[in-house]
Amino acid sequence: MAEGVPETDDLSGWTERTLPTNLGAIRDPEREVLTRLAECGFDEDQRFAVRLAFEEALVNAMKHGNRMDPARKVRLTYRISPERIEIRVADEGAGFNPKGVPDPTCDENLQRPCGRGIMLIRAYMDEVCFSPRGDEIRMVKFRHGRCTGGGTKT
Amino acid sequence: MADLEQMVVLDRGGVKLVRFRSGSILREADAEAIGRELLGLAAAPGQRVVLSFLGVVHLTSLVLGKLIHLHKRLAEAGGEVRLADIDPRIYEVFSVTRLDRLFRIYEREEDAMASFRPQGEAEG
Repeated sequence: MAEGVPETDDLSGWTERTLPTNLGAIRDPEREVLTRLAECGFDEDQRFAVRLAFEEALVNAMKHGNRMDPARKVRLTYRISPERIEIRVADEGAGFNPKGVPDPTCDENLQRPCGRGIMLIRAYMDEVCFSPRGDEIRMVKFRHGRCTGGGTKT
Repeated sequence: MADLEQMVVLDRGGVKLVRFRSGSILREADAEAIGRELLGLAAAPGQRVVLSFLGVVHLTSLVLGKLIHLHKRLAEAGGEVRLADIDPRIYEVFSVTRLDRLFRIYEREEDAMASFRPQGEAEG
């Protein structure tokens, strides 16, 4: 796995899915994740946040990463516990530099119709990082708030 | 009344009142259709539009982009869109993205409709 998205030391409990590049393919795994979150005690606000980030990450992977090429796949990996959810989304595109995305909240960018997905993910998740190529995102939401000394939003 | 796939459009004294379908959830797969239908509202010059978000419990950045597109298209033609009945969680999305500065947002659709009427004019 690429530098910047840390390896997991414990693979138990991970669910991995390979999705076609098709926006409709998001619904089933999203439903599974939301059901598991509810079972694990995540409240409505937390489920709203995860759902938003989940959709934004997968849509970014399909639209901007894979450029809606049906020959390319998206790898979704997630693990949910009563303490946290960790989600990884990897596409088969050329990657991008997340730091190169203009800040959509600047006055000059406020009317740009694009560029809000990543900022929403950062706003609603507790940890967010990208692989150096930008073809994989890892994001974490803690049920009891962010752990001190945890990862950073990069 | 125009009955579209994603929304219902009512004409109230020259103001288009748009309600997303009951229980509507603005998803990515619906966003393109929503965008097309929204831009259809901007066909007439000076069109005033109220978008009611009653029942909308989820949306994504792609839909935000469609709203911005509508805002720009209307503004170019001397019109305007105002938003209403936004769920607190959805409102937070507008706030986080600072789009609450771009759009005029009202608590209820009646307030948004009234805001388009000249002062002192009663609802007819």
